Amino acid sequence: MSSSTTETLVDVTMPQMGVSVAEGTLVQWRKQVGEPVQAQETICEISTDKIDTEVPAPASGVLAEILVGVESTVDVGTVLARIATETSGNLGTESASESAAGLAGAPAARQAGTPAAGPQASNGAGGYPSAPARGHSPVVRRIAAQHEIDLSQVTGTGRGGRIRKQDALALVESGEAAEPTGGQRPERPEPPLHSESPYRPEPPTAGGQSGPLSRMRRQIGEHMKRSLDTAAHCTTWIEVDMSRVEAARAPLGVTALAFVARATIAALREHRPVNAWLEGERYTRHDAVNLGIAVSLGEDGLIVPVLHDAHELSVEGIAVRIKDLAGRARARELTAEEVRGATFTITNPGQYGSIMATPIINQPQVAILDFEATVKRAVVVTDGEGNDAIAIRPITILGLSWDHRALDGGVAAQFLASVKRQLETNHR
Amino acid sequence: MATHTAPASEADVGAARHLQLDDRIWLLRAMLMMRGIEARAMNLYRQGKVPGSFYDGFGQEAVSAGGAFAMAPEDRLCILHRDLAAHLIRGVDPARIIAQYLGRATGLTAGRDGNVHFGDRRLGCVGMVSMLPDMMLVATGMAMAFKLRDEPRCALAWFGDGSTSRGDFHEAMNWAGVQRLPVVFVLENNQYAYSTPLAKQFAVDPIQRAAAYGFVGVTVDGNDVEAMFEATRAARQRALAGEGPTLIEAMTMRMHGHAAHDDMKYVPTEQVEEWRKRDPIERQETRLRSVGVDVDALRAAVQAEIDAATEVALAAPMPDPATAVDGVFCEGEAEPLGDGQAPWSGFASPRADA
Amino acid sequence: MATMTYLQAISAALREELRADPRVLMMGEDIGDFGGAFKVTDGFIEEFGADRVMDTPLAESGIIGTAIGAAVVGMRPVCEMQFSDFIACGFDQLVNVAGKMHYRQGLAVPITIRLPSGGGFSGGPFHSQNPEAWFMQSPGIKVLAPSTAHDAKGLMHAAIHDPNPVCFMEHKHLYRRIKGDVPEGIFETPMTARIARPGSDLVVIAYGAMVHVALEATADLDGASVEVLDLRSLVPLDRAAILDSVARCSKVVILDEANMTCAAGAQVAALIAEYGFEDLDGPVVRIATPDVPIPFSPPLEQATLPSVERVREGCRELLDY
Repeated sequence: MSSSTTETLVDVTMPQMGVSVAEGTLVQWRKQVGEPVQAQETICEISTDKIDTEVPAPASGVLAEILVGVESTVDVGTVLARIATETSGNLGTESASESAAGLAGAPAARQAGTPAAGPQASNGAGGYPSAPARGHSPVVRRIAAQHEIDLSQVTGTGRGGRIRKQDALALVESGEAAEPTGGQRPERPEPPLHSESPYRPEPPTAGGQSGPLSRMRRQIGEHMKRSLDTAAHCTTWIEVDMSRVEAARAPLGVTALAFVARATIAALREHRPVNAWLEGERYTRHDAVNLGIAVSLGEDGLIVPVLHDAHELSVEGIAVRIKDLAGRARARELTAEEVRGATFTITNPGQYGSIMATPIINQPQVAILDFEATVKRAVVVTDGEGNDAIAIRPITILGLSWDHRALDGGVAAQFLASVKRQLETNHR
Repeated sequence: MATHTAPASEADVGAARHLQLDDRIWLLRAMLMMRGIEARAMNLYRQGKVPGSFYDGFGQEAVSAGGAFAMAPEDRLCILHRDLAAHLIRGVDPARIIAQYLGRATGLTAGRDGNVHFGDRRLGCVGMVSMLPDMMLVATGMAMAFKLRDEPRCALAWFGDGSTSRGDFHEAMNWAGVQRLPVVFVLENNQYAYSTPLAKQFAVDPIQRAAAYGFVGVTVDGNDVEAMFEATRAARQRALAGEGPTLIEAMTMRMHGHAAHDDMKYVPTEQVEEWRKRDPIERQETRLRSVGVDVDALRAAVQAEIDAATEVALAAPMPDPATAVDGVFCEGEAEPLGDGQAPWSGFASPRADA
Repeated sequence: MATMTYLQAISAALREELRADPRVLMMGEDIGDFGGAFKVTDGFIEEFGADRVMDTPLAESGIIGTAIGAAVVGMRPVCEMQFSDFIACGFDQLVNVAGKMHYRQGLAVPITIRLPSGGGFSGGPFHSQNPEAWFMQSPGIKVLAPSTAHDAKGLMHAAIHDPNPVCFMEHKHLYRRIKGDVPEGIFETPMTARIARPGSDLVVIAYGAMVHVALEATADLDGASVEVLDLRSLVPLDRAAILDSVARCSKVVILDEANMTCAAGAQVAALIAEYGFEDLDGPVVRIATPDVPIPFSPPLEQATLPSVERVREGCRELLDY
């Protein structure tokens, strides 16, 4: 098959319908001279000793000439007609050799226009289109929004002059861009994570609305009440200096919660009695840490998706997982597996300003950690020579509610001390 | 095509030696339950309460009743779609069977699979797949494990005449023969594979294939439940004695269509009439009446049980759509199949196995 | 800890499992007296006996079907398909009996199927396939594809311990060509992805032998910082790790040695397009073998399997975008 750029004539020949067949009769032409023809489309009908059949066109183009008339009988192989094709390579029919020729070169790229039929791994010539007509890539747009960059002022170093991620970041690093807003990706506004307290029904006031609780609220209520009835709840608090965490989290683009989670996991591995279940008389210490993170579903209530095997994750890994689980929790897309098996829970209501709480343990775990607001305080710091001074530091208070049937105050305090130590000195 | 049926007297003598009166009643009861449940389910199907298709084993009840009755609690069964009596003998609750047809949450697959594609794993039954006879290989594998671990147990698989044309039949027969495994292969020859008669399925008498793979083949009157029991019991003995597999060809006839949607017009009426005279339930009833058993009372009791089971099944909820994607993987420990019931008196008294 | 080849690591894992757990049973063609077509089970029959290192008849459907039967009565069969290509002969048993059993009946089928896969040595169309995508698409089957000796051992232990059917893709090309430090004793590698080399400008996502092609192709690429993510586990697929790499690198090249259409990389690409969209600074690029049977003659075979050069070029183009 020719691959020139000029017009080519392709033969349509009388096929051999069976080893013993030597000739065939033209029964009917389905196309007339001058009509366009698609490859594989029936172009004529023939009759032989073995079978009557349709003949598909071998190429796409225009039927240029008919050489054998209706009711003529000719030998197998005789040219019946010719199709004029305008081809510069692929036009509907892909021959294996053509595709193979395209293989050894450029990597898989997209071609504007031609749909490639048949085997493809690389579509030959041409890379990507230049900067998309409607704008910039998602990540460039995000960086621009966060730092209030006017992209029309940025010189792009990408293909065709498009602005690449590093071009936008370079502007940020040069100090000419605004401070990041929030340090997080702007997307759907997220309701903050917060813990729930047991619902206490209010008597309906005049003009107010009353009605039965939703099933989810009732279930939450029953779980909370049962927990209070089962466990011997105590709560212990500790103050944590979050300076290092605040400094470390901005470049990573993660929340403080991810750091608290990581520190908690490390502390749980160190203090196994806290990473445990108490079911009736049976007390099970776990090696793996399956970390539950309480997620608010707004007015509907609360759910606790679980990061299984959280001890294998880094801070970034935790942040990605939390974000994923929280998003899917709110979209009600969690699987049954993802809300089961937690060995410890963290609840984090967000930055409303509240500083302490008395969380309720998530049965059958033996403890729960509450992480409230981080607030700048004046604190006493001691230097290397023992001199005291006042400094301003971001402080948070971590609260651990724990079950006195399984643990004692000393263990709780030591656990919190480990978490504090991890956060203040080793935030990875 | 010639068929070789075991002489009636041999089967009777064997059965008489091994079956107590209670056993013979049990066999009839199982067949009556099977036919009754399937009749009820067919009605429900025609009322639009059974989704999908419905298959029954009308006229073939003895093949599964007799076969399953010879299996011990620790044996394992791969049960096919016209073998409902096998499930009943192992102890499956009829209400759960009907719920299974109805696609309810309390059915044996909780709605995950339909009609007779079920097996209660706690009773040692493996449910079938549609690709036949895949389960012959599974039974072969179970028998292989028993032999490797030197356990006096066997596995049994039922399969049909049509399925013997597929590769898995040959791979299983060959494997079981080469390794001399304690497996019993029951070929339910019911004359038709959907609309395909035997003449289009075999070039040889299928029982000859046993010899071709190196083991014993026995043809049995599949509509004589006691003969079926006896042949299976003997095959089990052979297996436990280390003599390898047995192919039991159970001659029977599929009296209803392939499924509820098939009117079986392709079967000559004379053939159907001929086999109706050999109905397995009628034959067993005749036997038992002749020794004074109140068959009518038994029928009534069975029907009452089925009525009660139907009520329970109809009241069961449909499965919760939220559970549709659960349970694809096992998350905990893999539990092997459990033991089933085995009502044959011979399992209680040691000498009866001789 | 010992230095061993990928093949030795697999052998070591199998030996340790056979020693530790009497339920483990190896089944395959020529694995007993002959020691296996690739000698993975060389010497096993002397230590464990013909019962536990079973030379089966030539019957792939038979191997998998009987393994299922043995598994549901308490054994832990480890089957071998002599070449992964032959899984086609046992496809029905694997997909319809094993894969669907737990969903339908709550009956677990703890079998492991070892599949020596991949091309690059003139094996031709029937000895060179990477069929993992068939089983990614079939519910109820886990699919693992280690690229290092360490992971070959750890994932083999994990596969045997898993109560589900597991396809273990052993890449033939890696058997004797790569070595690594491997802990002795039974340990499990988690069924997650692994960062083979961290980076920030672009990530190449690959598995099996392609991980090594990716590492070589991007080791010194115009000074760019290229991350290589080794998927290791295809089912379950480590979505979080994939999205994490995309979040940091923003440019992605996905590499499959399998045929392009609907390979594992196609699923990864779809995942990224949907869930990683906001992090992308360029199109999601795939490099794979074209949809052809793997040819026999070396120039043809080299033209189809993704080469180091082709991967370099692809990464370079995307870096420039």
